[in-house]
Amino acid sequence: MTDVVALTNERNQMFRDLFSGKTPKRVPISNPATQDFAIQYAGLDLAECQWDLTKLEPVYDKFCQDFITDTYPGGSIRIPSHYQLLGSTPIIMSSSGFMQHPEVVGLLAEEYDQFIASPYDCIIETILPRLYTELNGEPGKVAMALAKAMRVHSDDMAYLGTIRAKMNAKYGFATMGAALTEAPFDFMADFLRSFKGISGDVRRYPDKVSAACEAVLPLMVKKGTLPNPSMLGYTFIPLHMAPYLRDKDFAALYWPTFKKLIETLAEMGQTVQLFVENDWMRYLDYLYELPENTIMRFEYGDPKLVKEKLGKKHIVSGFYPITLLQTGTKQQCVDKAKELLDILAPGGRYWWQADKSIINLEASGPVVENLRAVLEYVHENGTY
Amino acid sequence: MIDLQVLTQAVGDLDEKTILTMINDFVATNPSGEDAQKVVFACQQGMAIVGDLFERNEYYVGDLIFAGELLSTTIDILKPVLSGVATQKVGSIVIGTVQGDLHDIGKNIFGSMAEAAGFNVYDLGIDVSPSAFVEKAKEVKPQIIGMSGVLTLAIDSMKSTVKALNEAGLRDSVKIIIGGNPVNEDACKQIGADAFTTNAAEGLKTCQGWVK
Amino acid sequence: MLGGEDKMDSKYYETWEEYLAQHPELEGKPTQAIAPKIERYEDLMFTFIMDLLL
Repeated sequence: MTDVVALTNERNQMFRDLFSGKTPKRVPISNPATQDFAIQYAGLDLAECQWDLTKLEPVYDKFCQDFITDTYPGGSIRIPSHYQLLGSTPIIMSSSGFMQHPEVVGLLAEEYDQFIASPYDCIIETILPRLYTELNGEPGKVAMALAKAMRVHSDDMAYLGTIRAKMNAKYGFATMGAALTEAPFDFMADFLRSFKGISGDVRRYPDKVSAACEAVLPLMVKKGTLPNPSMLGYTFIPLHMAPYLRDKDFAALYWPTFKKLIETLAEMGQTVQLFVENDWMRYLDYLYELPENTIMRFEYGDPKLVKEKLGKKHIVSGFYPITLLQTGTKQQCVDKAKELLDILAPGGRYWWQADKSIINLEASGPVVENLRAVLEYVHENGTY
Repeated sequence: MIDLQVLTQAVGDLDEKTILTMINDFVATNPSGEDAQKVVFACQQGMAIVGDLFERNEYYVGDLIFAGELLSTTIDILKPVLSGVATQKVGSIVIGTVQGDLHDIGKNIFGSMAEAAGFNVYDLGIDVSPSAFVEKAKEVKPQIIGMSGVLTLAIDSMKSTVKALNEAGLRDSVKIIIGGNPVNEDACKQIGADAFTTNAAEGLKTCQGWVK
Repeated sequence: MLGGEDKMDSKYYETWEEYLAQHPELEGKPTQAIAPKIERYEDLMFTFIMDLLL
């Protein structure tokens, strides 16, 4: 067995231990910087590299070489080509070359009943044609656009998969699968009703919101299912809307189908990673009810309180403030990592990740040096 | 005559049905512009209640968004009877989501609350370049410029925008407030803004303090 | 097969059994090889479509 294969095996074992509630040999690390960051780090043009993926292999090689991490640092990313071919309005490239999500409305308030009757039919017939201009029009035109988009997406993913396999073979990362899904309420909010739309719906027709969440739940389960539930990996669920709701709206409209989603995935034997965005501190008692070993990566909050309330049942992650990498000294950045290790590592069930992804790199700024120092510190000192 | 106290409370409660019924009934009486002004003022007081409830953690951002929507609907209904009256503005603000960032929810909440509070709001939209901020500032001479962003890269764009305002000789004639997820005191200092906020209601209070 | 398809209730998604019922020409063919392939592309399409809204 080569050293690299041994390294992969060792890292896989760390995550197997972590996900099953055992204490791994050290605290596993995931680099919070993303492909966008990596392209800028290599000094290349962001937009060009996202269109011409052949430029990405040396980008990833340098990125993997220079920043210690246990998992491949090319997680969920959006590639522009199929969005372009579909005439996307919900995901577009900004002037700076980042793929972003402006506020859109895919479903009108008066279409709730249609959605509830058959969510997937409504998605195909009403929502997608509204959000993707090329899916709106003559059937022949739509068929062509969809075929091209599906093919380019498949090619792009295969190409990125090849790079990933090469990097795994060279750097010995853990080999994990991931599936992406959303809490039903968040799904209804993000691309369908919009932040503004759902905020009104919650007050105007809560019953319809609730029925729509129930109706879409099976789709969310299916979307979040790994090809093989026993494989090493997790369902990734970014959480959005709960912090913006009143407690009673959360309890009535967000929580019931969200809880069912997580429980169903857990019963299938899958690990779930929640990206707990914004401030969930008032919902910690709810989170406690979720199945054992659910991973919760926090963006915000009191790490001590979270460790105390959830740390014996769930796997805690996140909290490391990436803005500090931009504004702090190297010593301050390392001290922060130590502070979080001291709070979150004892007793196990801790995975080092940051509070957010790092997508931007200001070439003259201190982020590169600070990030490397923090990753190295945690790698060397991350004992439980 | 419309009961202004009841209206203020209905706005505070975000009771859409009551508000719309009262406003529509009021407009149907063909009121004077002056009376319409009083109604607007009552709505603004209702928005102050909303802001207080938000600070007390009884309302959350979703409620603020709904409040903003309710208020702009209300003002739209009142517009025909308000026309002809010189509306008194408390000040003017240019706002925008900075270059490279397309997130506009926070900016929109702040914008509608500022408008409700009587500010003239010039919203430049999303992905706004430093030069677009400068041009608008030259044109409308606002007291305040509000820059918004969610991505960490927004910090850099905010810095460039302040620099551009400086170079255009406009920096000293405006107050600058930054808002959004990545802003904090350190970022505010680095950028050279006058204030920062992660909370639209609080940001509005800061702006109101500036134009008193 | 992924979970949840029993409740999909959509004209744009068919389980293998539903598909087979619509396609009598497959009778007597090597369905042990055909079924996983038909299912796989049904699910790939589903994932592609849903990713457009995530």
